[in-house]
Amino acid sequence: MTKLTLQTGAPNEIIMQREFAAPRALVIHAMTTPELIQRWLGGKRASVLKASVDLRVGGRYRYVFRRPDGGEFAFGGEYRELADDRIVQTEKFDDYPSESTVTTTFTEIAGKTLVRIAVAFESQAVRDMVMKSGMTEGAGESYDQLEALLAAQ
Amino acid sequence: MTTQLDATFAALADPTRRAILARLARGEASVMELAEPFAMSQPAISKHLKVLERAGLISRGRDAQRRPCRLAATPLRDASDWLQGYREFWEASFDALDDVLADLKTQRPPTRRKAKHPKDKP
Repeated sequence: MTKLTLQTGAPNEIIMQREFAAPRALVIHAMTTPELIQRWLGGKRASVLKASVDLRVGGRYRYVFRRPDGGEFAFGGEYRELADDRIVQTEKFDDYPSESTVTTTFTEIAGKTLVRIAVAFESQAVRDMVMKSGMTEGAGESYDQLEALLAAQ
Repeated sequence: MTTQLDATFAALADPTRRAILARLARGEASVMELAEPFAMSQPAISKHLKVLERAGLISRGRDAQRRPCRLAATPLRDASDWLQGYREFWEASFDALDDVLADLKTQRPPTRRKAKHPKDKP
């Protein structure tokens, strides 16, 4: 199984990359279709209660989640650009004033698709939001994490 | 306004500075001790140390001769926790997406999304 890689090159931007064993059209289909999004987004960390997607430039999307502890959180945004190999959207968590811009590019190679997600965020608000949403549960204080962070290219 | 997390990530953007922090994670060191393994001059190392100090990632000892550098773990831990949480959310999501894609592949290939016409709406 391929692993998610995380890069922290530029201030205000993180870049995640992940390969999927499926063609580009199928990956985009799974990432933009509400019934399919409900089946994977959040994985074991959160279940999707509601997913709505209006897939057009200027259209909005919104996902509502429930964590295993019963707490709920939600995020959503607006599609800014839709191309065959690229989606630009805003991302904003509820109750926080700032939003980030997420640029996702899809590169198909030999039937597999490399997905690259660049998140440009307004750090203070997003960090606080992510902390408070409970997404950091389980993050320990070990230096393993620190080493992983420092090793990120 | 530059926030702490911005400053942390900016300081971490440089591989030499990450290496310095990794070295300091094992214990304090003087500029001379830090310069040695990097084949860099002490002034060059000092420049990196100033960036790290301004970002609050290291502190310098009072000893005027040696001024040993120490890792200040809190900002790094905040940055690490933030990334860890975000990463874990997407890691869990994408692992589940693998299964959904495998299911979809055994079914029919995806049809192109139809252009939306008003008459298609109920």
